[in-house]
Amino acid sequence: MPRGAVGSRSPRRDLLDKVLGRVRFAADLKVPGMLHLVVVRSTEAHARVTGIDVGEAAAVPGVVRVFTAADVPGENRYGIIRPTADQHLLAEGRVRMVGDPVALVAAETPEAAAEGARRVRVAYEPLPAVLDPAEALEAAAVRIHERGNLCFEQRVVRGDVDRALSEAAVVVEGTYETSRIEHAYIEPEAGVAYLEDGVLVVVCCTQNPHYDRRDLCRLLGLPEERVRVIQAPTGGGFGGKLDLSVQPFVALATWHTGRPCRLVYSREESFAASSKRHPFRMRYRTAADREGRLLAVEADLLADTGAYASYGLAVAIRAAVHAAGPYRVPNVRVRSRAVYTNHPFSGAMRGFGAPQVAFGYESQMDRVADALGLDPLEVRRRNALGPGEHTITGQRLGPSVGLRECLERVGRVRARWDGAPGLRGDGPVGVGVGAMYYGIGNTGMSNPSTAHVRFDEDGGFTLFTGAAEIGQGSDRVLTAVCADALGVDPDRVRLVRADTALTADAGATSASRQTYISGGAVLEAGQALGERILRRAEDLLEIPAEDLVIEGDRVRSRSLPSREVPLEEVASSFAKAGGMPREEGRFDPETTPLDRESGQGVPYATYAFAAQVARVRVDPVTGRVRVERIAAAHDVGRGVHPPGVRGQITGGVAMGVGMALMEAFDPGRDRNLDTYLIPTAADMPRVHPMIVEAPEPTGPFGAKGVGEPALIPTAPAVLNALARACGARIWRLPAGLEEVLEALGRGKE
Amino acid sequence: MPSSVPASRDPGPSGEPPAEGLTIRFVLNGRTVEARVEPHRTLLWVLREVFDLVGAKEGCGVGECGACTVLLDGEAVNACLVLAGKVDGREVTTVEGLGGPEALHPLQQWFIRKHAVQCGYCTPGMLLSAAALLRRNPDPTREEIREALAGNLCRCTGYVQIVEAVRAAAREMAGR
Repeated sequence: MPRGAVGSRSPRRDLLDKVLGRVRFAADLKVPGMLHLVVVRSTEAHARVTGIDVGEAAAVPGVVRVFTAADVPGENRYGIIRPTADQHLLAEGRVRMVGDPVALVAAETPEAAAEGARRVRVAYEPLPAVLDPAEALEAAAVRIHERGNLCFEQRVVRGDVDRALSEAAVVVEGTYETSRIEHAYIEPEAGVAYLEDGVLVVVCCTQNPHYDRRDLCRLLGLPEERVRVIQAPTGGGFGGKLDLSVQPFVALATWHTGRPCRLVYSREESFAASSKRHPFRMRYRTAADREGRLLAVEADLLADTGAYASYGLAVAIRAAVHAAGPYRVPNVRVRSRAVYTNHPFSGAMRGFGAPQVAFGYESQMDRVADALGLDPLEVRRRNALGPGEHTITGQRLGPSVGLRECLERVGRVRARWDGAPGLRGDGPVGVGVGAMYYGIGNTGMSNPSTAHVRFDEDGGFTLFTGAAEIGQGSDRVLTAVCADALGVDPDRVRLVRADTALTADAGATSASRQTYISGGAVLEAGQALGERILRRAEDLLEIPAEDLVIEGDRVRSRSLPSREVPLEEVASSFAKAGGMPREEGRFDPETTPLDRESGQGVPYATYAFAAQVARVRVDPVTGRVRVERIAAAHDVGRGVHPPGVRGQITGGVAMGVGMALMEAFDPGRDRNLDTYLIPTAADMPRVHPMIVEAPEPTGPFGAKGVGEPALIPTAPAVLNALARACGARIWRLPAGLEEVLEALGRGKE
Repeated sequence: MPSSVPASRDPGPSGEPPAEGLTIRFVLNGRTVEARVEPHRTLLWVLREVFDLVGAKEGCGVGECGACTVLLDGEAVNACLVLAGKVDGREVTTVEGLGGPEALHPLQQWFIRKHAVQCGYCTPGMLLSAAALLRRNPDPTREEIREALAGNLCRCTGYVQIVEAVRAAAREMAGR
């Protein structure tokens, strides 16, 4: 059978329009008669709002209306995780961070809207701001939210840690810190809203149109059938477009004025208004026996979730579950807490806390190796989880565990680097390893995806999926899965995507879940539709369906190859008989909730695994670090679109290099990309991506996921390499020039 | 659907050409055009709002991200930093003028073949910076490509496949 869309390297369909500049992102949309919006945002980190005077603003020529919290018709509260939803569309008497929305100005021109926004007078009565998560937990600290400053706490407890610590040959202790990071997708948030037949339509960049609709309905007090969210082509997300951004503002203004409205964030507003990666403080104790086998891991994790919960709960849980790394650890004690402060709110960013803890546990693994005089790669090999073994939540892994092969593959590349000349310059060189595992999908909860496939009258197919394509390539993955589930050429499969009026909820494009979960839903729908087509062909050919197969553009008999019928004819037969068939597929991976006290359970149905090695060179005069090479082996189950998998890996490596060496968002300083620096082409190492395929039986054609895993091992590998180059370890990210020079100094002592 | 949102061809968001302003004439993608604009407007604004050429994107507004890169007399510039008056009498090429669907520029072809595009927001600017590089240096090394593209930020790809695409396009254009 010509099965081949899965695994094919042919180019993605969307790229033609993208290289021609023909794709209209939300900021490129113009609706006749549209109003322009500007949000008035808090200048205070923590304050009571004692008055908002909109009189002068409303009088500006061209200003149509100024909105405040009183204009929110529904419940003025939203948040992607419902139990901790705590954000307001417009401030209700209090602001908790600089950038909190206070008022909204709608005007005929962008200039008038900006002038109106300047003339909104907000009276603040400052409150003490809490800017440190440890201080936020002190009894005397000002409460940022009524329920207190602890947003969420998760523990994972297993075995007898104290006994293991006392019996270990080696115990290493360390405290690690990571930075606040801005997603810095190149497309700032944008959206338009308009009314169409009484339905409020919002076209916007987003990672989750169905969630957007749910919270828009709550905010506006509307039933779901009155709100339609259509995902515009989205210029990157990385977790930062999971929370609502422009959507509630354009929706509110259109709902009140009846006019189309558009809101486009400037980069400055995007920085001020969007979520950030949680900065973590982590205290680790790791115990091992003489052979380097792990006996215990103890970790205390403190994450600054800023002014609002957003995904803080999910980050706290995922960090806890992943805190010991992809290793067999019999005794574990982890406490993970997300804490409110008056900083910009932290949310989802590629990895949900896993990249932060990977810096902690992988630094510890190198220190165990050093303490015992062992090769760091060998220590990881000795502890690596394998099929049928247990994670720290007590979950027994299935067969899809490719970690050992990942370690082996990067080990072979590392061996080739030994003694190879540097790419440029002098200075000490170091090679380091980083490994990880990553649970696919949401943690310990149902997170289904539903998809539909329809047979069309022309013999083609239409795949309906709610999965948001944000550049990563889910359109391509899902189309390929659909084509192979049916057995047809992928060119026959049309795609209708991420429109709440036309597609069912696929859940968020997050947690590296769309390939595995939405892919599973598409597979089921495609197979069900294929069955119906065969049963119809059975009547047309008078051959039992069991002997028939869909192949490319026809249905043919397996035993009598000359007996066949074109798909077009099968389609006409359906059309004449009264309608085209459409089938539904649904996939919800099997998980169990984590126990509240012990954190034991089955948080994910499957895991991705990876290992990377990095070679760095340090300029001893300036402290400048050059990441020369990175080899990255990723077990993705099955590479559905290998160039896309490579692209995810190289993109993840870039983000990891930024996390390791460059990126720390300073809320008081960083307004734009002139001070907040992300890696450029000139900062990139040579990358050697390797796709490892340990097929996942429950995944579509064996596939798992790669989006977040791509990033996670990079910073640990770079920092472990730096520790070797400098002769001393850096405990805090990013490793900037000063930190590197300081480490070089310590290394000489 | 986004594509069904009617696009306006208004001269500007306010709907009317400005009463006070300057008239600029320049060659835009091979065609001589004229526009009347207020003096503080940028080339990026003129392209997007007057001519509805939205391939050039605003990613930062301060010349840091390169998403608005266009060619001005063959040189790559950040259109968000160029005042409209500065293009009078000159030649501007945007991604819409680089190649059409039936006649893709080799860079566009190789960006597709090498999977050098993910979200696509940086792509137009990236293509034009690469075009400017190949115009002055038809046979760039990997390092020269990386340096030439260092003003164009991409958060998706890690640049690896972009650099591969530019090398492949250079080879094809040189007939190697």
